[in-house]
Amino acid sequence: MLNTLIRRLIQMVFVMFGISVIVFLIFFATPGSDPSARIAGRNASPEVLAAVRKDFGFDRPLYVQYGLMMKKLLITFDLTSFQNRGQKVVPQLVQATPVTLSLVIGGAILWVIGGIVVGLAAAATKGSVIDRGLMIIGLIGISMPVFWLGSVLNLITQSRFHDTWMFSWVPALGYKPLLENPWEWFKTMIIPWTSLAILYIGLYGRVLRASLIEANEEDYIRTARSKGLTETRILFRHALRTSLITFVTLFGLDFGALVGGGALLTEVVFGLQGVGKLTYDSLKSLDLPVILASVIYASFFVVGANFVVDMAYAILDPRVRGR
Amino acid sequence: MAASETSIGPVNPEPVGAVQRRPAAGPWVTAFRKLVRDKAAMAALLVFVLIVIGCSFAPYYASNVAHTFPFSSNLNGKVVINGEEQPVIEESTEGLGLGTTPIGPTWDIHGYFLGADDQGRDVLARMLYGGLNSLWIASASTIICLLFAAVLGVTAGFFGGMIDAVLSRILDVIWAFPIFLLAISLSIVLINSSIEIGPIVIRAGSLWLPIFIIGIVYVPYIARPIRGQVLSLKNSEFVLAAVGLGVPSHRILWKDILPNVATTLIVFVPLMMALNMVTESALSFLSIGVQPPDASWGTIIQDGQNLLYSRPMVALAPGLAIAVTVMTLNVFGDGVRDALDPRSKLRIGGD
Amino acid sequence: MKKSHWLGISAGALCMAAAIFTGTSSADAQDHRGGTMRLVAVGAGGTIDPQVNYTLQYWQLYQGLYDGLLNFKKGTGAEGFKVVPDIAEDMPQVADDGKTLIFKIRKGIKFSNGQELTTKDVVASFQRIFKVSSPTAGGFYSGIVGADKCLADAASCTLEGGVVADEAANTVTIHLTQPDAEIYYKLAVPHAVILPADSPTKDVGTAPLPGTGAYTIESYDPNKQLKIVRNPHFKEWSKDAQPDGYPDVVVMDFGLTDEAEVTAVANDQADWAFDPPPADRLAEIGTKYKDQVHVTPLTAMWYAPMNVNIPPFNNEKARQAVSYAIDRNAAVKLFGGKVLAQPVCQILPPGFPGNEPYCPFTKNPGGGKYNGPDMEMAKKLMEESGQKGQPVTVISEDSAVSKAVGTYLQSVLNELGFKAELKPISSNIQFTYIQNTNNKVQISVTQWYQDYPAASDFLNILFGCDSFHEGSDSSINIAGICDKEIDGKMKAALKLAVTDEAGANKMWAEIDKAMTDKAAAAILFTPKHVDFVSKRLGNFQFNPQYYFMVYQAWVQ
Repeated sequence: MLNTLIRRLIQMVFVMFGISVIVFLIFFATPGSDPSARIAGRNASPEVLAAVRKDFGFDRPLYVQYGLMMKKLLITFDLTSFQNRGQKVVPQLVQATPVTLSLVIGGAILWVIGGIVVGLAAAATKGSVIDRGLMIIGLIGISMPVFWLGSVLNLITQSRFHDTWMFSWVPALGYKPLLENPWEWFKTMIIPWTSLAILYIGLYGRVLRASLIEANEEDYIRTARSKGLTETRILFRHALRTSLITFVTLFGLDFGALVGGGALLTEVVFGLQGVGKLTYDSLKSLDLPVILASVIYASFFVVGANFVVDMAYAILDPRVRGR
Repeated sequence: MAASETSIGPVNPEPVGAVQRRPAAGPWVTAFRKLVRDKAAMAALLVFVLIVIGCSFAPYYASNVAHTFPFSSNLNGKVVINGEEQPVIEESTEGLGLGTTPIGPTWDIHGYFLGADDQGRDVLARMLYGGLNSLWIASASTIICLLFAAVLGVTAGFFGGMIDAVLSRILDVIWAFPIFLLAISLSIVLINSSIEIGPIVIRAGSLWLPIFIIGIVYVPYIARPIRGQVLSLKNSEFVLAAVGLGVPSHRILWKDILPNVATTLIVFVPLMMALNMVTESALSFLSIGVQPPDASWGTIIQDGQNLLYSRPMVALAPGLAIAVTVMTLNVFGDGVRDALDPRSKLRIGGD
Repeated sequence: MKKSHWLGISAGALCMAAAIFTGTSSADAQDHRGGTMRLVAVGAGGTIDPQVNYTLQYWQLYQGLYDGLLNFKKGTGAEGFKVVPDIAEDMPQVADDGKTLIFKIRKGIKFSNGQELTTKDVVASFQRIFKVSSPTAGGFYSGIVGADKCLADAASCTLEGGVVADEAANTVTIHLTQPDAEIYYKLAVPHAVILPADSPTKDVGTAPLPGTGAYTIESYDPNKQLKIVRNPHFKEWSKDAQPDGYPDVVVMDFGLTDEAEVTAVANDQADWAFDPPPADRLAEIGTKYKDQVHVTPLTAMWYAPMNVNIPPFNNEKARQAVSYAIDRNAAVKLFGGKVLAQPVCQILPPGFPGNEPYCPFTKNPGGGKYNGPDMEMAKKLMEESGQKGQPVTVISEDSAVSKAVGTYLQSVLNELGFKAELKPISSNIQFTYIQNTNNKVQISVTQWYQDYPAASDFLNILFGCDSFHEGSDSSINIAGICDKEIDGKMKAALKLAVTDEAGANKMWAEIDKAMTDKAAAAILFTPKHVDFVSKRLGNFQFNPQYYFMVYQAWVQ
């Protein structure tokens, strides 16, 4: 067990290092990425430009710049942003983490419960109107672009119907810290949670339904049935566990990516200053320090989440032994 | 009638009273015949084909029915509704007179059925032209994605050990990779130059760019579940039995593992088509893929974003189109899965 | 909310008492004093250092935070363009034909950290302009004696002989290498504000600097909020230059999208949105909230510079064809309609000093009015130019209006016979991208807002030979045009302005016509500014230099 953990940690470091190098190279291969002029200000004279370039070290060779940046990011923690001069990147990320965690964990609870309910209901009533109806609604959810869905929810809850009893409770956009005012925090997050969940419930429900139907035809299920167990017991106690393999795998991938900043469009449209929004702003302004930091942060969570999922396989399906 | 079906497993006893026997049909033919009898699946296929045909008729519709050229701006154009001539882009006259609004849906097949976008172009005409682009990009990227995912997932799951470790880490890198950064960078690089990989030259408007980017980005999303499934199958009774019998690996892969993996892939097809069309919309915002003034359902959704509060139809229509297309694929896919699955046949047995 | 209201009342009571005793009646003003004004913006404006920041977003806020020797008058309309003494007691004594300016410094002005302002601080602040590599160090202040040494080596900048203090007489003398008609404007912008002499000589980034204004920055987190509170050491010394303000606290929150900003103001969750309202909300705010909307003309322009050094626009006929073919009324529609923008063909904006209405690129030109595009003429010029079939790429920003204008331009270019493509780039990057000749940008969509009300700011800065730097991200002469003859006239007009402003303006009018004829850029329209404010915000005033006067409005 410990062996596996150590091996995976080493692999994780490789992945993070590899991605950071690729990101660095992509940045410098992009024409127009040189931040000197944007840092120096509108219409700066050539002397001023040169001074800024020297000051920030943009005239040094790439590998030196990479080394310096990684040192400042991971060892001395004083890497500063290009766009917001003087602002340290690591504290920015740390501040943004609770916001993203609030959004993703809440949304995840909703879509996991929703996905399981939908999948079970659809599989149990296979072929019926309920089954078809659930699948149609689910597919509509997947077909909606995230930003569009968020904008429409805002249009409904903040603008058009804001004054009606239905949505007058919806607070202004923007994050309210949990510890300051839990009730406001909750009210603020409900709509973003719903937005995130709508996208995934259909997908997870569909996947679970398919796995359940397959499992239903497995031999061990037939055995259980022939032993006289009720369909419900079979469904919940036997079929569900092994059917969850695909469900859990996808969840690990999605949760890992979202916590790492993958919910960027959702955070932008609801004004939540999370890791995703940081990533989005840094991409728009080609702010290399923040991009590097957020990419490393994201890869940590992705690799970590996949590791946890691999461990979970052993619990879910006894036929798969932990690696 | 049992006699017209062949099962893969051993004996299907002749039912008492069977009158005639036809030569046993192969599994593919059987599956095909089963599929053709599935009414829902056939209806879905028909709708899908109609959508494709409809989109192919875009040039005809644009020039002969709607009399419009939806790729040039029409800001000063006029349209006749109920005998009255109205400007396509109306200036606000109430209150302070701020803002201009494109015309809304006229529900008249002869022009601006779904209204105009902010450049005064006919939305329905653009949707028809755009449909083929979207379907092409989504289908090609889905196929690429499923292919790579199947290969990677099965290899990693089946062979385990070092191979699994390396492939899984590669999948991690792909999944954690900042594709928006790559897209932004590519779009700026491609303004003035083209990328040459050997004999292949990729220019800015090449549709292969989004196809490959979207195809590769989602590989881990399918490869890892498949890997999980293969891990579980590897230790199932019939595989262990085959191994015990000395069946070579490649035969096990081909005969036992792949068919089960195939049904999983089929479930993912409509899901990936939906996700890919939505991702194409995000990439088109970053100038990767369909270039203005060409259209795809994704670019029209982007255009509609800026009109959401005044003309929501522009963003709604392509979204609905995506949803309907995906649903037809979903129903058809279910039918294919049912037709192919040997075990579902066993259970239904002579249905 | 309650707490500050209470403070407002007691402060108001004190002031009332003071007013009664001093005999000045400010009872009305006291009614509105206090409260927290909530502003919203999509993102932060960059560094908080007033000598480096070059964004309107923060220049607007600096008005109540910092002071220079001179300042723009806190007034509306033409009054707002006047320069008045601020830290200086009076306008300077001028000697040496304008090469020497002697400023007498006011006594008793305190920084927000309690320090008293002395001549030492003035000298240090001018040196600091060069030490922090202010973007205008070379452009605006290179005329100061000793500036050339400072530009070469910023760290050791002393401006010896350039800015000289006389502590005994409490004066500061500025020596210029040659007279500069625009020096007063240059001393009135935030890059020339006076900061404590011990301020760090590097760009402070996010650490606020103490200032002499009525307000001071309490905290700055570029991801969340900028908080401004009253300067406890402030005593009003000039109503024109640095008046006291109404709100007790001003906060600017970052992070909403522009759509969300409009919704926030409409819901009374914010008092003012910095970013322009998106196009699909204009009709809504123009009708449902029309009493909360202010539309003000600007001296600014949207234009499409064409690179005159590479094909196809190195051909003057091709450029003129484009200018004839563009329907500026269509571009106006994309911006929001006739009420919000005015089509123009020439470079100097309407009403600007030196502007004489002139529009050649239209049907039946005459009288300077725009009568719509002349497609026939355009197509004729295209034939003569021989540039048909040439590939062209239009570079716009990825914001909605810029992209829409770019799409329209692409359509027009295709109609003319070019093979046109459109490339929207992120707004944060596009402006520097289109300036760099290495990127071979042929035509782009961009805007220019004045730095100060002088014709040279449009003509010399944007189309003068000195503004063109090859291979640099900072080459504001985007078209890359360098016409020696017109350039000579521009330098002559700058010189003439020192002694004869009216004569200089006549020269600028001629230069405007000549440069417009060259069609180095297709000028599209003059935008107006839309301010959407909350119901409770009162006394909205618009200064033409710094726009909405934040501190002069009240929220209760």
